Amino acid sequence: MELYEFKACELSEMLGKGEISSKELTESVFDRIEKTEPAIGAYLTLNRDSALSEAEKIDAKRASGEELSPLAGIPIGIKDNISTTGIRTTCASRMLENYTPVFDATVVTKLKNAGAIITGKLNMDEFAMGSSTETSYFQPTKNPFDTSCVPGGSSGGSAAAVASMEAVMALGSDTGGSIRQPSSLCGVVGLKPTYGSVSRYGLVAFASSLDQIGPITRSVKDSAMLFDAICGHDSLDATSARRDYAPISGTLDGDVRGLKIGIPKEYFGDGIKPEVKEAVMSSVKALESRGATVKEISLPSTDYALSAYYIIACAEASSNLARFDGVKYGYRCENPENLMDMYERTRSEGFGREVKRRIILGTFVLSSGYYDAYYKKAKLLQKRIRSEFDSAFNDVDVIVTPTSPFEAFKFGDKMDDPLAMYSADICTVTVNIAGLPAVSVPCGYSEIGLPYGMQIIGRSFDEKTILNAAYAHECGFGGFRAPVIASKGVEL
Amino acid sequence: MANNPNIDIKYVAKLARIRISDDELPRYSEEMNNIIKMVEAMPEIDDELLVDESNVMELREDKLSESKLSRDEILKNAPKVVAGCVVVPKTVE
Amino acid sequence: MIRGYEVVVGLEVHAELNTATKIYCNCKNSFGLEVNTQVCPICLGMPGTLPTLNEKVVEYAIKMGHALNCGINRICKQDRKNYFYPDLPKSYQISQADIPLCHDGYIDIIVDGETKRIGVERIHIEEDAGKLLHSDKFDGSLVDFNRCGVPLIEIVSRPDMRSSDEAKAYLETIRSILRYIDISDCKMQEGSIRCDVNVSVHKPGEPLGTRCEMKNVNSFSAVVHGIDYEANRQIEVLEAGGTITQETRRWDDAKGESVSMRSKEDAQDYRYFPEPDLGTIVVSEEKVQYLKDTLPELPNARIMRYIGICGLSYNDAAMIVDVPEKAELFDKTLEAGCKSGKLLSNWILGEISKLMNDGIDIHETNLTPKKLAKIVNYIDSGKISTAAGKKVFDAVMSDNADIDEFIEKNSLSQISDVSSLEKIAAEVVSQNEKSVSDYKNGKTNALGYLVGQCMKASKGKANPAVMKELVLKLLEE
Repeated sequence: MELYEFKACELSEMLGKGEISSKELTESVFDRIEKTEPAIGAYLTLNRDSALSEAEKIDAKRASGEELSPLAGIPIGIKDNISTTGIRTTCASRMLENYTPVFDATVVTKLKNAGAIITGKLNMDEFAMGSSTETSYFQPTKNPFDTSCVPGGSSGGSAAAVASMEAVMALGSDTGGSIRQPSSLCGVVGLKPTYGSVSRYGLVAFASSLDQIGPITRSVKDSAMLFDAICGHDSLDATSARRDYAPISGTLDGDVRGLKIGIPKEYFGDGIKPEVKEAVMSSVKALESRGATVKEISLPSTDYALSAYYIIACAEASSNLARFDGVKYGYRCENPENLMDMYERTRSEGFGREVKRRIILGTFVLSSGYYDAYYKKAKLLQKRIRSEFDSAFNDVDVIVTPTSPFEAFKFGDKMDDPLAMYSADICTVTVNIAGLPAVSVPCGYSEIGLPYGMQIIGRSFDEKTILNAAYAHECGFGGFRAPVIASKGVEL
Repeated sequence: MANNPNIDIKYVAKLARIRISDDELPRYSEEMNNIIKMVEAMPEIDDELLVDESNVMELREDKLSESKLSRDEILKNAPKVVAGCVVVPKTVE
Repeated sequence: MIRGYEVVVGLEVHAELNTATKIYCNCKNSFGLEVNTQVCPICLGMPGTLPTLNEKVVEYAIKMGHALNCGINRICKQDRKNYFYPDLPKSYQISQADIPLCHDGYIDIIVDGETKRIGVERIHIEEDAGKLLHSDKFDGSLVDFNRCGVPLIEIVSRPDMRSSDEAKAYLETIRSILRYIDISDCKMQEGSIRCDVNVSVHKPGEPLGTRCEMKNVNSFSAVVHGIDYEANRQIEVLEAGGTITQETRRWDDAKGESVSMRSKEDAQDYRYFPEPDLGTIVVSEEKVQYLKDTLPELPNARIMRYIGICGLSYNDAAMIVDVPEKAELFDKTLEAGCKSGKLLSNWILGEISKLMNDGIDIHETNLTPKKLAKIVNYIDSGKISTAAGKKVFDAVMSDNADIDEFIEKNSLSQISDVSSLEKIAAEVVSQNEKSVSDYKNGKTNALGYLVGQCMKASKGKANPAVMKELVLKLLEE
């Protein structure tokens, strides 16, 4: 077994015991990248030299007997909308093709302080807008389980890198499902933490009130370990929650006796592929057999969640992305005739279609005369959806749904129909709207071996309960199944 | 107004400083109107948006930062810099 | 009233707050430093950065709210105002829309001795933008972002003013309050107070006219000229049978005219919505009350105290209060035992104002309130003459002289001892029979001559007031 194949928890132990060095591990991961990356295309920027020298430093520290964090020496990939000093951060957009940040996101600072090794920056849908990573300005990323399929999105690079073992773990960001949906499509574990539990400072904002950074890993324990490292209050983020964040990592025991699982009927409707429903329900039955109780519940406003989501997310995005104007950083059009020409051409040439579409929609719903009919109504719906979740959690401890209504789809399948693409997020957006934590775990495979995902939603700041339920599921269902990545008929 | 999903795409695009050519217009219009039709299905809600008192923010102490980036560093991503200033096409006053 | 029209004026005053750091980041809040040296990723709006609200900004705005008798929304939020301009890095300004921090207050202004109450609609907090620099030699504009994120309060009045004089008095009162509660430097030439002016005209008894907003009115004199110009322009339009269209105009102070910027039809659509990067502002009731309780005495109350207790005229009181340093010296000198407020005000508005106008910081001189009180008291009691007082004052300023020693050494003390003055008076009266008879025949100015002779005889040391009384007494015998 190659070092790159191990999970973070195992590697952490091996590193701690001195059985392997971080340098060997990092080299192994970069060897893997070299081999499979041409078939996958997960990375936009590789950080090889710096990663190797950081790995050596960690090894030296360890050799000198210094007490190190569990993440020390472990290679982690970072979604390219998370600010990294000195490493270009493009958001997969032409707009930021040559943008090199001068500051680190708080999560990056935390990872660096923990001694994690940054492998590079991962592909995504442009400015995190999309569900297939096809809106990236630079390249498509392929699903390691079938390279003719998309990896999901927007954190498609992160999910594909972890699934293809081009990174031990990765950070993604999730505004409407962007961690969970690609995790589902790539057969890995993805956690969208509670809004406010992980600092957004340095995450290039898509929708400020919905965005959260979270881990994408090959095991539930790895997700817990990475979440423990990145969560916590940050004085640089006014929306970050000040509270005690007790480590979850060592507490997972898979004991679900007495756990009350809610099954919301609205998430098992016609839009969901029957095989996906079956896979999720059989996983729920397995949890039941381990001592959990199962109850059907109702979240009646679910049908409108997608609408409310697109209004709120696009409204905020239209404002958040207004700063890309060709003045201070990023792309500026050639030879602008005047100020208006510079603004319009810079933004029209620098942004891709999906981004422009969402900016226009967001601008429209906030514009004079339409605010009440759209934005205000969406915010009222958000309030209602939150209270529906609140009352549901009076009766149950976790809510289980499919993550994605369907498995990975072919490139180009949904690119011409925005609404079809948006429907990929139908099970995940409500969680962002309600600000709740949710984890996606693999729960089945299609006939041709494409993964299905199950979403476990929890109460605010109760990552521990959903991760423990996910761990119980993983213990029964089995852990990560490595895809067979082939190129031109040759297995890589 | 909410019942008339025909957005003046050109006006809205102008507000957003995005230029849409005439041949792109029909596609944008159609897509936008489809999205608007979807969101039009939202139910009427008899409720008011109040300031969220549960979402209290901590305020920052009025204290100068010790660390500071140099001007060169801070402007290194700017497309055009002259005499320590970012340059833009002439603004008409 | 101009040509039968009533002029209606409302003002929006933007004042920069003198906090140590900016409103949403901990960059230095200061004026005049080298371009783009007071900026960080946050105030430059770099991707991924987030704002954090400076607590002092909230406190200062609430202080101003109390000073202007406002209600305080101790639970409120911030909103984004979206528009594109190169001096606005995020392409939105964080401001407050429907729920300002302070609302529904008033201030009393005094114009021509009459008090008038002007309503204050709201005070909200927001961030300033950067500055654009232009040069004819350069094809383009330069952006200096230093001012981005400098904290502002915007004070919006109700349309309660009826002339440019009232607007000026309102502005002066606002400025004076900002200085007294020490939340703004109020330097108009540095742009630390800026003003937008709303003007309309109508015939008395008829509904209010359509208003025009004038931007870029950046000095008190510009406010006066701008309002007068705009009122006359509107009246001329109406008199010629035209109608006023609601529009934004820009005041060109150099040309002395306002020019149209944009009309209501192509008005900006700012797409306000709640700032999602910030939480709710919640200020405790205790804090709100504390800020009220610790507010210093405000200028109007001070003027009233100086008139009522110290017997100053309105104009003298207002002139002292207008400059916080003068009022402070006035109060401290009274505290140090000065017995005549009236005499003290003459000194402060005379000698001391002259020094201050020359740019001298009175705190840096040898003059202490205690010394000033002593000088004024000596003059008041007749121990020294006003002229001698000036000599003493100069000696204190230049050499930090001991007042009593200096008076002694230079024999400046006036003779107020009645018996010795009686002697001089008797001698002078007996030697000037003609003047005495002149006085008795009704030539009252003979008294002045006689007193003058007495002063001469005392070598100028006699207290002229006492002397005069003694001579009179002798003449009337």
